[in-house]
Amino acid sequence: MQEEPGLEAAASVQTAASETHGAHAVQAIDLSLDYGDRRALDGISLNVPQGDIFGLLGPNGSGKTTLVSLFLGLLEPTSGQALVLGRPPAPDVRQTIGVLFQESCLDPNMTVAETLELHGEMFGLRPPLLRMRLEDLLARFGLAERQRDATRTLSGGLKRRLELARALVPSPQLLFLDEPTTGLDPEGRADLWEHLHRINQDGTTIVVATHDMLDADRHSRRVAFINQGRLTALGSPEELKRELKHDSVRLEWPTLTPALLAELSRIQGVGRATWLPPLLHVTVDSARDFVPRVFQLAGDGIRSLQIQESTLEDAYFQMVGRGDEAT
Amino acid sequence: MSSVAFTAQACRALLKRDLRAVARSRSQLYSSLLFPLMILAILGTGVSKGLDPSLVRDGDYSSFLVPGIIVMTLVFSSTFSSASYYYDRDWGMLKVLLATPHEPRVIMLGKSLAGAVIGSGQGLAVLLVAALIPALNLEWQYGVLPGILLAVVAVVMLSLLLNGAAQLVARRIRTMQGFHLVMNLVLFPLLFFSGAFFPLDKLPVWLKVLATINPLSYPLDLLRVAAYANDSGYFGLVVDLLVLGALTPLVFWAGLQRRPPTA
Repeated sequence: MQEEPGLEAAASVQTAASETHGAHAVQAIDLSLDYGDRRALDGISLNVPQGDIFGLLGPNGSGKTTLVSLFLGLLEPTSGQALVLGRPPAPDVRQTIGVLFQESCLDPNMTVAETLELHGEMFGLRPPLLRMRLEDLLARFGLAERQRDATRTLSGGLKRRLELARALVPSPQLLFLDEPTTGLDPEGRADLWEHLHRINQDGTTIVVATHDMLDADRHSRRVAFINQGRLTALGSPEELKRELKHDSVRLEWPTLTPALLAELSRIQGVGRATWLPPLLHVTVDSARDFVPRVFQLAGDGIRSLQIQESTLEDAYFQMVGRGDEAT
Repeated sequence: MSSVAFTAQACRALLKRDLRAVARSRSQLYSSLLFPLMILAILGTGVSKGLDPSLVRDGDYSSFLVPGIIVMTLVFSSTFSSASYYYDRDWGMLKVLLATPHEPRVIMLGKSLAGAVIGSGQGLAVLLVAALIPALNLEWQYGVLPGILLAVVAVVMLSLLLNGAAQLVARRIRTMQGFHLVMNLVLFPLLFFSGAFFPLDKLPVWLKVLATINPLSYPLDLLRVAAYANDSGYFGLVVDLLVLGALTPLVFWAGLQRRPPTA
């Protein structure tokens, strides 16, 4: 059988990685990047072990996409180092990387099959193997019947599936996904994550940049919170939630005033209160004790109330902070 | 697989993609042939009848115009091909290609070569059609095969030169509108002062100076010597080949040097 250059390069990168940096698929070492006068990333240091599903969490503009671009070698850091499988992301290292960008990146005039074929050829795959890989991916992602259709005729969900299939053409050891569920309905999201878990079970490390806390909480083994270009927290979702109060209470309270907020924060068992008018988000030891007290304070000012166990989003608000915080 | 073969496969894949795009864009395909032939018919006939025909061989202005029309075809083609950089950037395809295991200059090499192949194909198609029109009298003074070979050299070298120059401009201009504006502002005067539409011999000195420093003049002269003229041309075969041989690799190489911005 013909030797495949992609596999050859991937094997040499893998060997180098295991020799030099053990089990890290991705490393950022005091990584900073400036766009002119603006510091987009500021001294980020983190490791992603091989085989992990790792979430990069943060609001829009926090620096997640910039960080992914540095790992792909699309940007040069101002200082520090970005390492992928133990090496800077030079072209031969990219042989082992798949990527799904945040925005749709498709040539509208190419067909589904041509899109995958071009990508395979760019990764050095040759006809017999390329054909097999394409047929497998087309079948696996339910695109076989649409393979001769121009990508412009696909729905948003199918486009996303095609882009994920394209990212998998080189059988990557490492997959970067930037906001992968953008534009997908709940069924599409579940479908996508099912694919991702299967890929991860096959040994591919997955790094997901997202602002979707629920997805990250459910699917990531470890997460990093990034805010304004800085790393604010790093750990498993369970570790990050451990410090939180048990319950999370969300209130729609248009008549809330700073004085009421200060009073509320003095109630026993109240953790952090984040006020984004008209919404108030409070973590508490026990919602059962807290809710009657808050109704005493608010009178009929509360329009709606929601209680749930604390989530990664609560941890995020606690560590990153937003709005007017009472504590 | 060697790195040369790996790079060659990437370039071939990008060429295939652009050839498919041209084949699918019927308007581009037809207009690339019809427009030059229309200019040839209108300008050639009009000038033959209205201007002093003794300025060109046998008073046959239409045949004189053939090399100029081919150069014009290549100018348009390289502008269209290089504009695909903007489409790729805006569609996000450039980012996808830059994230593959190739240096950015390999991606730009593939795209430039694709543009040069498409432009050369269009230019040679115009030459073929012109050669088949009985009313046009091409001389082929060195014989048909050597003449065709020289014409292919001129067309390919010019196509590479123009695509390299267009890449240079595209790296520095952010919008496609700005790119077209700059290309038109630069290339149209160059086209007019290259001798594409009138012979250089009888021009005033200042226009002759402009023609001499104009890079389009040399492939045009080479094409004219190869297919149309029965003399040694304005600059001469050797000068044409030397200038093209020096300038084309330089400009093409320069066009690949700067990393293309993805946003």
